[in-house]
Formats: sequence, structure tokens, C-alpha cells
Amino acid sequence: MLTNYHPPKISESFWVTFRMMFKEEWRQNIDFAKKRHIALFPVMLALLSLIMTIGLRYLTGEVLISANEEQQAFSWDQLKMYMHGGIFAFSLSMGSFAFIGRVMVSQRGGGKNYLLASPAVQPLDLVTNYFAYYAKEVSYYVLMLLTPAVIGMAGGILLEQFASLSTPLEWASLPVVLLALTTTLAQGLALSFIASAFFSRGGKWSYIIPILGIGIALLGALQIVDIRLMIPGMLYQFSHQHWIPLVSIPASFFVAYIGAHFVPDDFEIHVTAKSELLTPVWERLPFLGNGMLRLLVAKDLVDLWRSNTLVKMLISYTVPLLFLLLLAWLVDFASFPIPFNLLSYAPFLGFFGFQFYSWLNGMDSPDFLNGFPVTLPQLLRAKIVVYFLITTWISVIFLIVMAKVLDQMWALPAALIVMIANSIYIVCLTALLMGPRPNKAIFDTSIMAWFYVGTIVPLLSLFLISFTQGDMAIYENWGSMVSDQGLNATTAVLVEENAAGQGLRGILFVSLILTLLGISFLMMLNRRWGRKPFEN
Amino acid sequence: MMSNDGEPLVVAKDLGKAFGDFVALHPLNVKVASGEFFGVFGPNGAGKSTFIKLLTGQLRPSMGGAKVLGINVRADPRMVKANVGIVPESESPPSFLTAAEYLEFVARLRSLEDIGEKVDYWLDWFGINDKKHTLCKDLSKGQRQKVMLAGAFIHKPKLLFLDEPFVNLDPIYQRKCRELLIETVNDGGTIFLCTHILEVAERLCTRVAVIDRGHVLASGKVDDLKINKDETLEDVFIRLVGTSIEEIEAKDGDEEE
Repeated sequence: MLTNYHPPKISESFWVTFRMMFKEEWRQNIDFAKKRHIALFPVMLALLSLIMTIGLRYLTGEVLISANEEQQAFSWDQLKMYMHGGIFAFSLSMGSFAFIGRVMVSQRGGGKNYLLASPAVQPLDLVTNYFAYYAKEVSYYVLMLLTPAVIGMAGGILLEQFASLSTPLEWASLPVVLLALTTTLAQGLALSFIASAFFSRGGKWSYIIPILGIGIALLGALQIVDIRLMIPGMLYQFSHQHWIPLVSIPASFFVAYIGAHFVPDDFEIHVTAKSELLTPVWERLPFLGNGMLRLLVAKDLVDLWRSNTLVKMLISYTVPLLFLLLLAWLVDFASFPIPFNLLSYAPFLGFFGFQFYSWLNGMDSPDFLNGFPVTLPQLLRAKIVVYFLITTWISVIFLIVMAKVLDQMWALPAALIVMIANSIYIVCLTALLMGPRPNKAIFDTSIMAWFYVGTIVPLLSLFLISFTQGDMAIYENWGSMVSDQGLNATTAVLVEENAAGQGLRGILFVSLILTLLGISFLMMLNRRWGRKPFEN
Repeated sequence: MMSNDGEPLVVAKDLGKAFGDFVALHPLNVKVASGEFFGVFGPNGAGKSTFIKLLTGQLRPSMGGAKVLGINVRADPRMVKANVGIVPESESPPSFLTAAEYLEFVARLRSLEDIGEKVDYWLDWFGINDKKHTLCKDLSKGQRQKVMLAGAFIHKPKLLFLDEPFVNLDPIYQRKCRELLIETVNDGGTIFLCTHILEVAERLCTRVAVIDRGHVLASGKVDDLKINKDETLEDVFIRLVGTSIEEIEAKDGDEEE
């Protein structure tokens, strides 16, 4: 006999890989943040959920004796939909680990290695490996996100018995909520994973997958297909038909299992020779001076191009923008009663910068810089510059298209200011809080609390003030007066003490504050990250 | 020397690898019998690691094929990996597992018994038992290499593929590992080794192949490759590789003219 051993059966290798991957995930999280911050995360989440459970009646407006359905801020159905929509969007954004796996595999010769690269030398097949990773993702998020949220709801119901508070939630609802959210989470992760697996194969899949994604999103957004049928977890939340999760969760695991078969085998090394790109790129960046920033930006731009990350990043950046554009068109088309306008959407364009910044940091391991006279803040600043160089033109085009769609070209200058200010602020805030590891900061309570407050407050304030611009009359007046009377007319209109004028000044003021805060975050990078090693 | 079944443990037949237009390994034919200590040498980028990766199913061949332990590598790479030990060049164990956990993971994948004892034994053997609960990312390069070696030895494979196994090891453990490898071969095991440390190879290898730019320049017993008794393996290496570079440079010169 030449052989003594047989490769492990899937059942054997799956469980040990799953268990070890779970540990690996936990360790990765506590490696970035302090253990107590990670342990606090579910506690904080439970607390937040408890407060929301108690405040549910206030949130919907039901608490008002006179409240009828029209006066309620949200209906129960809307709340349920938003809850599932949020979890679904989150799981879609976290499920593209076919991309992450490729990076891990390609970098396994570096300082760090992960279990996803194990099939290189162990008798573990790629399918089991990725399937175990999917199972780990589902169970980790159920444990860290969904379970604490439901425990918080339970706390809210419990408080009802001790305080004179009332909540519409019942004990019997809790298992349904947990199961419904798990169904949505498992589905989002599975769809995102299978899409990323096919996309990773390149060729025609690079076009088919985004088109398919946009197509499916359109079906839901245009209500051609009921969104509850597209997200079975949501349907279960409404219908309480227990067969739905029993079918849907295994179906999601099956989709992930199929997806695992299509992840490219990247242990096959591609030796590629390329013509010199660093110097030509560097030469095109004279506006960055002659220092380290210019060199690091040039290096990152070359990385972006060579790693084929640019396409993925642009898609991940433009898909939400397309969705926003669609939303703008729909709202305008449906003559929605809330005065949404160009300035309501502009802040969100900046907000999407977070995802792009995360991609930028996952491109390559910066460990090699540890031996050079460079500091981590210099690299982070370079990433911020790269972000602006790559995305600004997309955001500008989108705002112009959106202004055209909404027929609000007069609002474009102010919207551009809001978009740029928000972009500066969000990306600088992300860099300051999360440094080179934005993906690993997600379970750090203190960072996420700061990030939450730091993003929601300005975003919400800009969004709400934007409603003062609903009729756009101020811009139209200003435009016609400028064309009639020249630039002197500007002052005459803008000093008008009407709501729109005040609102516009408020928006510009918030934008100014955000820009200043962004710049001060940039300056604070040295203090927070100056002594940290290059490690992502 | 052949295996018990009379079949060489490693058979590469016209095995080659191209990455696009670049041929990393031109078709080569190599047989390694049971009980052999086979060494592969060559300058950086010669194709040594590609050769090991092809034989262990980490890469798919562009030309020809290989059988390892009688298994067609292309058809069943997992079966190959289940039965051999592999230490890849400069690869670390998973960063966020401890040394003990990594070995436990490897042992469970191979369905070994008495896992705890085996893990402790190898951690002891490599002198890193005090680091058993340390995350692999926090180990020194040498300690990580020891963990990788322990992972390759833990199931006592009949055939080991080692790519620069002594790099990063201190002299004490280089010697210990050499002795272990000799013991393995004496017990009927087979070693396939890629290394730059030619003195080590000269002392250990029963047969060698010198590779340069994807071509096998020479192969055979170490003594057979020497022109005279005073020549060391390093002299042989420099003579073979140096000549080939000069030849290629001369060829390039001819083409330019």
C-alpha cells in the first residue's frame, strides 16, 4: 500500500474547519479592538434594542391618543420592512467573501495567513472550505447581531411588567423575529457570496452579475415583484407561516454551497509581467508636490489598477448611487408628499465613501512599509486622496444626472458643496476611527458608537434641513434675477428671511462645519495612528 | 530503489508549467524511488517551487503529468495531500489560530487519533510548547516555520515535500531537523527537498537535480555530478548554473547580432 490516509469526508472536514474559522473570526475581531469592546458590542446592541422596543409606540406615533394612521411617523409594516431591509443590505455588503478569499489566498506567502488558504497544503477541498466560511458568517452574525437584538426586545417586554410602559411586542413574537431575521441574513449572505463567486470568474460574468443585480433590485424598487416575496424572511415576519424559514434557510445554505463550487481556484499562480506604471502615474500627480504623499498615492493607484479592484470598487460605489437615482426618479414620478429634492440626496453620496475606503484598505498588505521611513497616517492620507481622485467625478456626474431627472439644476452648486463636504467628512472620520482596518472595526463598540453618532447626526440634519428647499423657488428666483440683474442679485435673494433662505444657509453652514471637522480629523490622524504599525 | 509495490513514489512525465507566455518549467522527467532523499537545487526563480507545487497538486500542469504514491496528481490532488507532508516556502500557519490549534486542525483533517498527545509531542519536539497558546501571527518567523514543519510531520507521512525547510530555523533545530529527516529515510520514508543550503543538501541527498530557468541541467547521485573528488556540491552548482547563464547570454548576443 502506497497510501495510508484518505481525504476527510465533507462532514468531518466541515465541522473542524467551521469551528476553527469561528475562532479565527473572533480572534481577528479582538485583535483589532480590545476584548471588552467586542464583548460590549452585543450588550450595547441589546440595550439599543431594548430602548427601541420600549419606544416603539412613540416611534410609530401610536402613543398619541389622537393619532390616526396618517399622523403616524411609521406604520408597523414599514418598521418591519425597514428592519429586514437593513439586515438584507448589511448581509449583501458582508457576503462577498469570494473576493476576500482571493486576496487571502494570494497573500498567504506574506506575514499573515488565514484558514481560507488551507486547501493549498491540506487535504481540504475548496468547496467545503468556502461553505464552512459561509456557515461561520451566518452563525457569527446571528450570535453577535441578531441574538443580542432579540434579547434586548425581550428585556423591553420584561420592563413592561415592572414599569408603566407598554410595548406591542409579545413573548411569542420573539422566536419569529429571530428566525425571520436569520432567514433574511442567510439569504443576503448567500446571494452576495454566489454573486461574488461568479463575478470572480471574470469574463462575461463581470457584466452578467452587475446587470442581474440591478435587474433584481429594479424588480423590487418598481414593485413589479412584491419585495416580501423577494425576501422570504420579511414574508415570514408578516405571515408567520413557519414553513418559510424551514425552506428558505436550507435553500440559502444550498445557494452558498453551489456558490462555493464556482469560486475560482486561486492557488493557481498567474505570473504576469507588466510594463512600468509607477513612474508614469507619479508624473501625472504634480499637484501633490514631491513628497511622500505623491509617491504613496501613485503606488495605491497602481495597486488599484493591477489588482483589478478598481472595477469591483466602482461597481460597489455606483450601484448604491444608481439605486439613489432610481429612488429620486420614483419619488419625483410618484409626487411623494415629502419634499425630497436634490439636496436631500447629496449627503448620501458622501456616505457611500465608507465602503470605497474599506476596499482601498483591503487591496494589499501594507506590512512591507514597516521598514521604511513612512508613517501610517501618511498612508491613510494617501488613501483619502486616492478616494477623492477616483470617486469625485462619479459623484459629480450622478448629481448632474439627478439634477436633470429632478429638473433642479439650480440646486446643483449647493448640492455639490454638500456632497464634497460630506465626502471629506465621512472618509476622514472613517480613517480616523478605523485606520487601515475598517472591515474589522465593525464589532468594536466604542468605534461603532462614535461612527454611528458621527455619521447619523450630520446626515440626518442635512437630510431634514434639505426639506426646506422642497419647492426650489429660491434658486429659480435667484437664477432668473441673476440673468436679469447680474451677480448683484444674489445677495438680494439670499438675504430673504424665508424658510428656504434660512435652510440653505443652514445647509451651507453644516457643510462648512463638516469640512472643518474633516480637516481636523486629518490632522488628528498623527495622534491616533502615528505610532501604530502598518497592518490591515 | 523502488517502493514495496515496485513503483517509484514520484513520477513526473513531461511535466511542465507555463504561465501565459512564460514557461516556468519546461517538460521534465523525474522519478523518485521509495527511501530516497531527493534534492532539487537552482538559482532564484529557477522553477523549484513550481515543481513542488505541481507534484503536490497546488498547481495544475500545462504539460505532461505526475503520479505521487501511485496517485494521478491532477485527478486527485486531495488524496496526494492526505498522504504526504508539505512545507511550502515562506508560508505561515493561519495567523489567528494558536500553534496548538493549528496542529489540532491539521490532525483532525487527517482523522488522526490521540490528537492532544500528538500535538504536545511535536510542540515539545520543536521546543515551542510554551508557545502552544500563542497566536501564530505573534510567533517569530522561525517559530512559525517550526509549526509548519510540525504540521507536515504530525501524521508521519511516507513522503515529504519540503521547500526551503531550514530557512529561519536556528542552527540547533536545523541539526535536529536534519537528523529527523535522515531517520525518516532510514525508516523507509522519502524526502523531496528544495533548498539553497548546499552543504546541508550535500550531506543529506542521495540524488539531486539542478534546475535553471525551468530546465533540468543535470541530475543523478551527488558524486556522479562531480568532476573530481575535491569538488563540492556548491562548485557543481556554480559550474552548471554559471555555464548555462553564459550560454544563454551568448545566445542572446548572437540573436542581437
